[in-house]
Parts: sequence; C-alpha cells; structure tokens
Amino acid sequence: MERDDRKKIALAVMVLGLVALPWWSGDLYKLHLAALIGAYWVLIGGLNLVVGYSGQLSIGHVGLLAIGAYCFAILAGTHGVHPALAIAAAGGLCGLCGLVLGLPSLRLPGFYFAMATLAFALIVTEITLAQGELTGGGIGLSVPGLPAPFDTPQGSYWLILAIAGLVTWLSWNVARFTWGRGLVAIRDSVITAQAVGVPVFRAKLTVFVASGVTAGISGALFAVLQSYITPDTFIFELGLFFFVCIIIGGRGHILGPLLGTVVLTALPELVSPLAKLGTFFYGLLLLVVVLLVPEGIGRVFEVVVEFFRPRKPESHVVSPDLQRLAKAIQDASR
Amino acid sequence: MTLAAIGVTKTFGGLTALSKVSLELQPGEVHGLIGPNGSGKTTLLNLLSGYYKADRGAISLDGADISATTVQQRANIGVARTFQKPRLLPTLSVLDNAMLGGWRDARAGFLASAFSLPSAREDETVLRRRAEELLHGVGLSRVVGRRANLLEHAEQRFLEIARGLAQRPRFILLDEPAGGLTPAEIEHLGAIIRVMRDGGIGVLLVEHHTDFVFRVSDRVTTLDVGSVIKRGTPDEVRNDPEVIRIYLGA
Amino acid sequence: MLIALITGLATGALYASAALVYNVMFSTSKVLSVTTGHISMLGGVFGAWFMSTLGWPAPIALLGSIAVGAVFGLLTDFIAIRRVLARSDEHLWLLSTLALATMVQQGAGLWWGTEPKPFPRLIPQDFTAGLGDQKYWLPIVVAILLAVALELFYRRTLYGKLFVAMSEDAFAARARGIPTDRIRAMSYVIAGAMGGLAGFAAGQLTFAYFALGLTLTLNGFIALAVGGLGSNVGALVGGAALGILSSVATYYVGGEYHQTISVGLLMLVLLLKPAGLFGSQTVRPV
Repeated sequence: MERDDRKKIALAVMVLGLVALPWWSGDLYKLHLAALIGAYWVLIGGLNLVVGYSGQLSIGHVGLLAIGAYCFAILAGTHGVHPALAIAAAGGLCGLCGLVLGLPSLRLPGFYFAMATLAFALIVTEITLAQGELTGGGIGLSVPGLPAPFDTPQGSYWLILAIAGLVTWLSWNVARFTWGRGLVAIRDSVITAQAVGVPVFRAKLTVFVASGVTAGISGALFAVLQSYITPDTFIFELGLFFFVCIIIGGRGHILGPLLGTVVLTALPELVSPLAKLGTFFYGLLLLVVVLLVPEGIGRVFEVVVEFFRPRKPESHVVSPDLQRLAKAIQDASR
Repeated sequence: MTLAAIGVTKTFGGLTALSKVSLELQPGEVHGLIGPNGSGKTTLLNLLSGYYKADRGAISLDGADISATTVQQRANIGVARTFQKPRLLPTLSVLDNAMLGGWRDARAGFLASAFSLPSAREDETVLRRRAEELLHGVGLSRVVGRRANLLEHAEQRFLEIARGLAQRPRFILLDEPAGGLTPAEIEHLGAIIRVMRDGGIGVLLVEHHTDFVFRVSDRVTTLDVGSVIKRGTPDEVRNDPEVIRIYLGA
Repeated sequence: MLIALITGLATGALYASAALVYNVMFSTSKVLSVTTGHISMLGGVFGAWFMSTLGWPAPIALLGSIAVGAVFGLLTDFIAIRRVLARSDEHLWLLSTLALATMVQQGAGLWWGTEPKPFPRLIPQDFTAGLGDQKYWLPIVVAILLAVALELFYRRTLYGKLFVAMSEDAFAARARGIPTDRIRAMSYVIAGAMGGLAGFAAGQLTFAYFALGLTLTLNGFIALAVGGLGSNVGALVGGAALGILSSVATYYVGGEYHQTISVGLLMLVLLLKPAGLFGSQTVRPV
C-alpha cells in the first residue's frame, strides 16, 4: 500500500472517530471538553500561521477572543440577531481589529510586537470593564445558545468540529503552498524573504488579519460553550496558553500544535494537581521546550524516526547536469 | 538592456565605502568584480540588489532609474542574488527552498491558497517542476527531499544558485560563490556560471578568488578603497600594474 | 489635582526604574527581558514578607530585597539567556524570558496569594502627610539615584566602560579578550539589584502584589521606547511622562482607560520619532 493511501485511511478513521465521539465518549463532560478543545483550536489553528509559520510572537490573542465572544453575546443576546450572522460578525469584527492592531505593530521588531499584543489584551479587558452598559462590566453577560439543530451538546460539538476541521484544512493549504514557504522565510530569514520578493509586511498583515477572523469565530463558539462571560473569563494567561500550545507543538507544523492544544487543554482537567499549578505548569513546559527542543515536541518524534530509519551511505558530491540546467533556464525564461 | 550603477557613493558613518563607482552588467555576460577586503565589492552588490540605498548616484535597469525600489521590487523585475554566507530556510526541504525562488510567479493569493483553488495547485505544479529541473541541473538531485540544515557547505551554495534561478532572473548577483568550495566544486561552479551566461542571464561575480574570476569572466572590474581601479577583459586587468600592485602588495 | 500629579510622578518613577533595568540588561546582551517587571515585583513581595512575616527591620529587609533581585537577575541570565544567545534563532530569548517570567509570577501567586497585600511603612511618618508622603517620594528618589549611579558607573569605572564597549560591539569586545559571558552575568546581577531596590521603594505605592510584574514589564517598556532604547535620561523622561500623562488623564476621564492611554502615548511617539525622544539609533531589529 502506498504511504499516501495509508495516510488517507488514518485520516478517515480519525475523522470518523471524532464525528462519532458523542456515542463513545460516555459522559457529557468529556463531550464538553472536546468541544472546548475544538473552539480553542479554531483560534490556535489561525494563530499558528502567525506564530508558527511567520514567526510573529503574538501573546495577546486572548483580546481578539474576548472581542469575538462579546460581539456574539451582544448581537445574538441583546439585539437578537440570528446566531449564524452573529458568528460571522464576530469573525469580521476581529479581522478588522487584527488589521487595526497589525498595521502599526507588525512593522516593529519582535519584542515591540509582542508587547503591543500584550497591551492590546489588557486594553480589551479595560474596555470591557469600562463599557458596562454594553458588556455588563464586571458582572458579565449571559450568552444565548445556538438554534436547532445545534442546541444540544452533541449538536454544538458537531458544529465546532466542522469549523475546526475547516480551519485545519485552510491552514494546511496555506502552509503547503507558496504562501507557507514565504511565511517560513519571514520567520527564519527576512533577508531571504526579501531577496525572493516576498512582500514581508503585507504577508505578515494578511495572516494576522486571517488569525483575527478565526479568533473572532472561536470567541463566539467559546462564549456559547461558556454560556456566561465576564472579563475574568479572558485573563491574559489564556492568551499565553494559546501561544504555549503552538510553541510546544512545534513551529512550522500543524499536527504538533493541534496535539499540543488537545493535551494541554485535557491534561489539567484529568490530572487535578496540574490544574492547581495552572499557568505555572505552562511556563515550566515552555521553558523546558525552548531550552531543550526549540523546534517543539514534534521534532523529537522526527528525530527518533530518522534515527531508526535505515540510512544509505551518503554521497555529497555535487555533479551538475549542465544540459538539463541549460534547458531548465531556457524553459523558465520563456 | 542593462543593470547599472551610475556614479554611486555610499558612506557608513564617516567611512566612505564606495565613491562615484559606475558599473554596467549586460545580459549574457559574466562580469567579475574583484578587489581586496573592504574595497566595497559587497557594498556595491547590496546597492544593486536594493539592500542599501546610495547616498549619491543611481541604480538603473534598462535606462529606468530604480534607485528608490525595494529589494522585493527588484526581485520582481528580474534581479536575483546569493549571499556570502548561504541564507537558506533550515527547516524546509531542499525542494521547498528552491521553490521559494518562484514566489514572484505564484499567481494565487492568500485566499486562493487557503481554499486550494485550481490556481494555487497549478502554481504548485509549475514551480515544483521548475525547481526540480534546476536542482537536477546544478547537481542536487540526490538531496531534493532533505532538510536544508543537513546539507554540506557546497550543496548550500548550489542550492542558493538554484533558488536564484527559480526566480527567472535576468541578472544574478553572486556574492563570493566559490568561498569554501573544493577545486572540483569550483570547476562545477564555473560550468554552471557559463551555462547561466549562455542562457542570456547577466552574472555579476563578486569573488576573492581572482584566478577563478579571470577564467570565467568576460569583463572584470577591480575595486580598491571604494573606487574603480581598472576595468577590461581578464587579460587587460590581470596585467595591469596597478592591479598587480594592489594584489601583490607594494 | 496635585495629588494626581505626584501619584503620576511616583508611578512614572517606578516605570523609569524598570526602563533603566531594561537598559542595563540590553547593553550587554541586546535582550529585552520579559522578566524586567517581575524583578521589582519580587523586590516588593519579598520586602513585605521580610518585614511583616519575618519581622526584619526595614534596612535589613531592603538589603534582602536587593539580594533577591540580584539572585533573580543572575538566574535570568543563567537559565533564560546564556544557552539561548548561543543559538542563532533571534526569537528564543523572548520565549525563554517569557517562560521564566510566567513561572515567577505564578509561583509568587501560589506562594504569596493573589490578593495585593499592604507594604509596611519604612520611615515613621504620619498618614496625613499628603503630598509629602514617603510612598510618593521614595520611588522618585530611587529612580533618580539609580540613573545618576548608572551614569557614574558607566563613565568612571572600568567595569562600566566594559559594559559600554560590549554594548557598542560585542564581537570586538570578545576579540579584545573581554570575558563577555562574565560581564553579561554581572550586568544581570546589577540590573536585578536595581529592580529589587526599585520594587522595594515603590512597595507602599503598588502594594505587594504578584501580578505587578507583567504590567511593569509593559509600562517600563513603554517608558523605555518613549524615552529611547539605551538612553538613561530618556528612561527618566519617558517614565515621568508616562506616569503623569496617565494619572492626569485618569483625573479627568476616570481610571478605566489607564492602559489604553499609555499605549496611545507609545504609538504616538513611535509614529513621530521611532527611535524615541532620546534614542540615538534607529529601531534595530532586536
């Protein structure tokens, strides 16, 4: 069997297993947890293009999550807009916020950008507290549920699963085509990116706005799952958590951060001592990964696989095929 | 049909790196640029490729002033370059590194890529075939799938050239491409440069290795402390007393 | 109104101290450490613990806080900087210092509690002193003291000159035989001691509060960027400007938009003068 075929079968089995989760998970709490992971992944999947691929360290995406959540709660709850429309509006508004935040800050060096996103998250908290009439201030807002057929735990899980799957597919496409290579070039060597003509700022801004849209949609879904939101729901540590999932999973991968999201969300729920340590544990994990395997946990598996794979003796002799080169140059210049 | 520096001057702080230097690069010629350390060779290359802006003078392409254009814009109008220390993307494969050079020919935008529209997939097919052919051509067929950080030094140099060629350049600026290569590898490099020239590409060859430059260049310019000392055919330059004085020391 | 001004000036002085700490660490390592604010947080929390819980007298507690800061500075270099700087990836130090800062903040929260706790009086003084209250002028005096001491250190002492040499060209410094690793470690110890002192001095203003670190990291950075990276005068001016602006704005429009205003100031300055008010160099890709 071809390797590609095996991959496709593995993927199909996984998708079926996830779709069937409501029947085999046993209890509603686990289903809720799975839905929460999915909602997080909608944000992290988009953020992964920013952090993991283009190397822009945004630690304040929780601000966008909050805006999306409040936007949904206010539109669908206070104003009675149809939830589907409200989700779309949350995505659009956060895309716009991403543009407003990215325009001044993405031109700045890395640390400046990280601080700008941190400041953004704090400002959003400040505004949600200050605009009490709109957001309920410190008391918060209750969030309306989704209409049928998504009004059951199973229904909302499937909806979130579908959106999360879509985000995964979209980000995978971006990563594997020319754009992905351009983004990695921005991360690993801006000079190279410029040399081949990648419009560095525009590319960074584009993925940042895209990550804003997914963050907004994620915020709406997250709000539905929470059913009640206050400014305390969106503490800065949550933004740090998103960021850590990606770094630990490995920059420049999709599967790694996905696994990171699943494990880091589920672990504190299943192992209660970790829940108490909370963010301390994420900090420790981040430090260990950065110091020992800066390419992320995923890289460890790759290295192990490479180690066990039988390897042919390598020849490093470079022997050009000049006729082929001449033809390639001719073909290219046509 | 030339890429030219016209009387460019560049200073850093109080130091004059280049003073009123002119240089013309024609398509289908190899132009060697030699000179001792600190003579301004790399500065001139950086001015031509857009990493520096000239204090005075201009850079022109086909007679149009392109001094104000960015590095990216110059890449898009057909100026490619390599670096003294190869700048590859270490975590990507050799093939991906070469395909990166095709950025300017990718027509699919961000959304088209995200939704895997036919335009994105066509881009991919075209760029992949081009990159594969170039990699075979420069002799990297055995390592196409390998991560770039696992390459030997010579392989990195040749991969940079393949990436530059994937840009479909009219002019390619090579910054000390023979640095760290074995004599056999330098021969291969020379052959590749000749093929590029015969394919109509203008090659600027910035090099320490003067013997190599005299062998493959059609014209040679010698710089010393930021000014042009001598320009001409390899034979004229090689036998110029001033050039000999600079290189042999007097 | 006067109270608003003096509060702003005192808070600004703390930001200025944090900016100075940034400068000291940046000079030898070209790193802007996320742990900067957390050093002062530790200075305040430990100061309160030394005095309230252990019953140490104020001068001993002061030395204790400085020592805690210095040790944490050294640890920052040892854990988060040394190994990472050797690698080529320029973003790693941001991640490693962020990780360390998170651990310290959460560790302090677990140990000290997440509520702000009062910081004892250092000098016997009536609480009705108003504008002359020590909680205002202590941070101001310390910020000025630190800036003056730092200038003297750079100009008059051998080690200070080594710092300057390293900040101008680390490669050349190493080539000339300067033990750059040791100098960097030393700069982190000094920065830590400064931060510990500043946190201790501002304790009565900020309370002993575990979450102070992150806001101070941010606001200290804003003061730094406004004043100009690398400039100590700029740090003082930037800190004072930021503190006064945000407290005056608070006075007029209320305290809800404190952070929004300070970030507004930063954006304005970066727009008009990207290198900051007193910055000599253009913003480098740090």
